[in-house]
Amino acid sequence: MQIDMTVNGRAYSADVEDRTLLVHYLRDHLGLTGTNVGCDTSSCGACTVHIDGQSVKSCTVLAAQVRGADITTIEGMANDEELHPMQEAFRQCHGLQCGYCTPGMVMAATSLLSENPDPSEQEVREGLEGNLCRCTGYHNIVKSVLSVAGGQS
Amino acid sequence: MTNLQPYLRPTSIEPALEALAEGKRTIIAGATDLFPSRGNLSTTIEPILDITAISELSGIQPEGNGWRIGALTTWADIGRSSLPPVFSGLCQAATQIGGIQIQNVATVVGNVCNASPAADGVPPLLTLDASIELRSTETTRVLPLNSFILGNRSTARRPDELVTALLIPKYSTTRESPSRDITPVGGFVKLGARAYLVISIVMVAAVAEIDSDGVIQAAKIAVGACSAVPKRLTQLEVDLVGTSLGKGHDALSRQITADHLKVLSPIDDVRASASYRLSVTPHMISQALLACHSE
Repeated sequence: MQIDMTVNGRAYSADVEDRTLLVHYLRDHLGLTGTNVGCDTSSCGACTVHIDGQSVKSCTVLAAQVRGADITTIEGMANDEELHPMQEAFRQCHGLQCGYCTPGMVMAATSLLSENPDPSEQEVREGLEGNLCRCTGYHNIVKSVLSVAGGQS
Repeated sequence: MTNLQPYLRPTSIEPALEALAEGKRTIIAGATDLFPSRGNLSTTIEPILDITAISELSGIQPEGNGWRIGALTTWADIGRSSLPPVFSGLCQAATQIGGIQIQNVATVVGNVCNASPAADGVPPLLTLDASIELRSTETTRVLPLNSFILGNRSTARRPDELVTALLIPKYSTTRESPSRDITPVGGFVKLGARAYLVISIVMVAAVAEIDSDGVIQAAKIAVGACSAVPKRLTQLEVDLVGTSLGKGHDALSRQITADHLKVLSPIDDVRASASYRLSVTPHMISQALLACHSE
């Protein structure tokens, strides 16, 4: 089936099988491998992307369902050579260990701050409830998000 | 069936109904229950009707004296809505289902149609006396929620029907002689192995009229994950009238007897034993009632 969508500001058109998941479309067809597949059962959040600005697990969406939508992946966050403030904060605060959950964490965190620009620590923890870190490095992840929230206000 | 076009995504209701009249299809919206139940989709996928482009199925609207929750209403939509306090249990459930990414796409109607005994949405909807609107090319019918869900993963929906909305009637009191108005308030509590991304061990929803002295004047209680279909505890609802919440959690939970829970039939599974489920249920009911009071 023919699908059209905008990914990181660029229009794409492709012929894919009906059963293609969005995450596989992004990784295998567009080569955007920054979006990780962690659990494949919509638990871990490593595959989180933004669909029309909302964070969604891309292993739980068929590519065909988001025809015409505006998708942002981790590759769309940095601006040329400059990291997105959330990426910079993860770097500064050591918000990653193995890094596997990081793209999803960054996407979930930016979506959280767009809805709630000045969250409490508890709200950050609740806002990231859909993302699991297998290194259990939550402390610095929360610290990273709070540093961006504080920096923005 | 093999001749059906494999994937359809109509933009209005009529072509969707015509497609269902033509042959059996799996209907998807958020699709969050589809993938876990189908593995990795590495072989084939059955004919799909994707309803996400049917904009007339969106939105929460007042209708008649009650409310209409369109089939595309997501849990995030419920969580952000400004529904009256009687909906508080449903709104609390909305923020505890899956995680935020799931709440952004998963629908309330999908939760009901999936008919899991552990569907978090069903107990609050039972306390709201919800009904289901089903449409086919031939008919429109409305079924009460407790006659729509028939069992584990089984509903009264015919293959040619589409669930178009949940209908919530205006709250009706169970008080015999309501002399003054008390605002009904909802509450929801869920027990799981962790707070989020978890299948519930037990969940309880309540809607209660609690007077200014903290005395229950009317209550509706529903329990999930303790029977194939979540159940209202009607005898308990009657017996709770006149109970003061001021006596606290322990006294309140002790008032709930085995007899009150006899309509439940929990099973042993990987998440908990049947006896554990029964032993925590009175505590969960008490917490749900206290949640109604603190709202």
